[in-house]
Amino acid sequence: MPPLIEARELSKRYGKHLALDRVNFSIESGRIVGLIGPNGAGKTSALRSLLGLTNYEGHLRVLGREPLRERTALMSEACFIADVAVLPGWLRVDRAIDFVAGVHPKFRRERAAALLEKTQIRGNHRMRELSKGMKTQVHLALTMAIDAKLFVLDEPTLGLDLLARRSFYDALVNDYMDETRTILITTHQVEEVENLLTDVMFIDKGRIVLDCSLDDVAQRYAAVAVSGAGLDDARAMRPFYERRTLGKTVLYYENPDFARLRDFGEVLTPSVSDLFVAKLAGEAS
Amino acid sequence: MNNTHWLIRREFWENRAIWLVPTVIAGLLVLAAVFGHVQFGDDLFRPDGAGEGVPAKLAMYALSGSVTVMFLIIMSVYSGWYLLDCLHADRKDRSILFWKSLPISDSDTVLTKLLVGLIIIPLVYFAIADLTVFLLALIFGLRTGAWASSGLWHPSVWLQTQGFWIYTILTLAVWYLPVAGWLMLISAWATRAVILWSVLPPLAIYIGERWMFGTHYFGSELMDRLGKGYALRAFDVSQGGPGWTTEIIHKHGGDDTMTYPTSLWHLLDPIGFFGSTATWVGAAVGAALIVAAIQLRSRRAEI
Repeated sequence: MPPLIEARELSKRYGKHLALDRVNFSIESGRIVGLIGPNGAGKTSALRSLLGLTNYEGHLRVLGREPLRERTALMSEACFIADVAVLPGWLRVDRAIDFVAGVHPKFRRERAAALLEKTQIRGNHRMRELSKGMKTQVHLALTMAIDAKLFVLDEPTLGLDLLARRSFYDALVNDYMDETRTILITTHQVEEVENLLTDVMFIDKGRIVLDCSLDDVAQRYAAVAVSGAGLDDARAMRPFYERRTLGKTVLYYENPDFARLRDFGEVLTPSVSDLFVAKLAGEAS
Repeated sequence: MNNTHWLIRREFWENRAIWLVPTVIAGLLVLAAVFGHVQFGDDLFRPDGAGEGVPAKLAMYALSGSVTVMFLIIMSVYSGWYLLDCLHADRKDRSILFWKSLPISDSDTVLTKLLVGLIIIPLVYFAIADLTVFLLALIFGLRTGAWASSGLWHPSVWLQTQGFWIYTILTLAVWYLPVAGWLMLISAWATRAVILWSVLPPLAIYIGERWMFGTHYFGSELMDRLGKGYALRAFDVSQGGPGWTTEIIHKHGGDDTMTYPTSLWHLLDPIGFFGSTATWVGAAVGAALIVAAIQLRSRRAEI
């Protein structure tokens, strides 16, 4: 079975600026993938290309389709939340449901209604009358009621408070995710998503700097805290990043000799956020 | 087809002015008719004047004509604004990202908005203008009891007005297709100042042509398109000939003559309109601009 998303030599140019620089990746079905990078790294460009919202160079297939040419067909099997603030202010909640039910063959109206019933939101509310958190609930209810194979979220919790963010991700994982679906999330807030992802991709300056499943992180990456004497020997094993903390130096390795590494101290698997900092700072130096 | 239905409803939800503006105007006219001072009827349209009913029919023409022209002017301005705004507003408030997350093609979106701007908004104005004329005739009839007998009630005038409107809407839509296409192209393209962008390029071409070649073909074409060109081709107002009649009107200061068409149908000139090269060249240019607007729409997201 071909991957759900396949990108080869994918580039996106804005004038002279190269937002995506010949990127290669593929995403299999049933995964929750985090596309993580600092602001301006090319995350949004990548998503816009995947969703057929912008033109691009290179080879790209999403659900077997060419996004820009076949956006309409693609959108009946994929859905996305580009940002929570994009529901138009004049639109009433009940009409939003009517509209999506009218145009989307895979929208299940009763499911959207059930999701909204748990909230304070009423059908005659206009979007502009809702708080950002409530708008998110509406958008999520609209989107989760679609039987889509692929769900793409671009910075979905931007501007939300902690409570709203937490309930957003809870709803996503508990009420939505199953083995038939694939979720792709972009964010620059790593901590928020690291516990729900199955795969991570780091993107920086238009290039993918890391692409692996969380199960593989432990096999591929290691961190050791070294103090004093062993430091030079540990450095000789070519860490890609080091960081001083509380009198110790933490060294980060990719595909190291784990047996030798244990001589310097306890070998830890770095968290996604540590790895993110290490990878990006390591690339920069 | 099903999508078009929802896309049209969507436009009504977003642009309540489509029906609010003409409704408010109609309401004001009706209020004025109810409480205002009714001027006419004293001498010009006296029912005991020449030819029972004819002056009343003329009054009906005058009433229906003035209301129609007023609604047409307001409709043109609103429709123009609608077309200029319709592909820009959702890019400005970023809701385009929501609309584009649904399985609706860009050509469906653009063509529906074109349909709303050129046909549906005029039809709404037509329906409301029609109702307004009906109400005004009723009110005037009741207030000036003298008219009630001879009546503003001319079913033939009524029918003519409907035909006149339908013809006008259809021909306006064809004639103004290039203008609509241009406005939508700007709407899909500009990041801001849509009004300025819609005006500046034609102005620049006009000035550039004058400056470089000393000619003004573009300006003349443009003036023809926006100005008298439509009326000259779609209507035939040359007086006389069959279908026109001259009536003597008795007034206080002496008699007067009035020449008018026996039916509004005589004013319409579909052969002149659809036989004109300008009509079809314009339609082709319009179609090209619409295709360009669809292309732009598919590549441009929020501002």
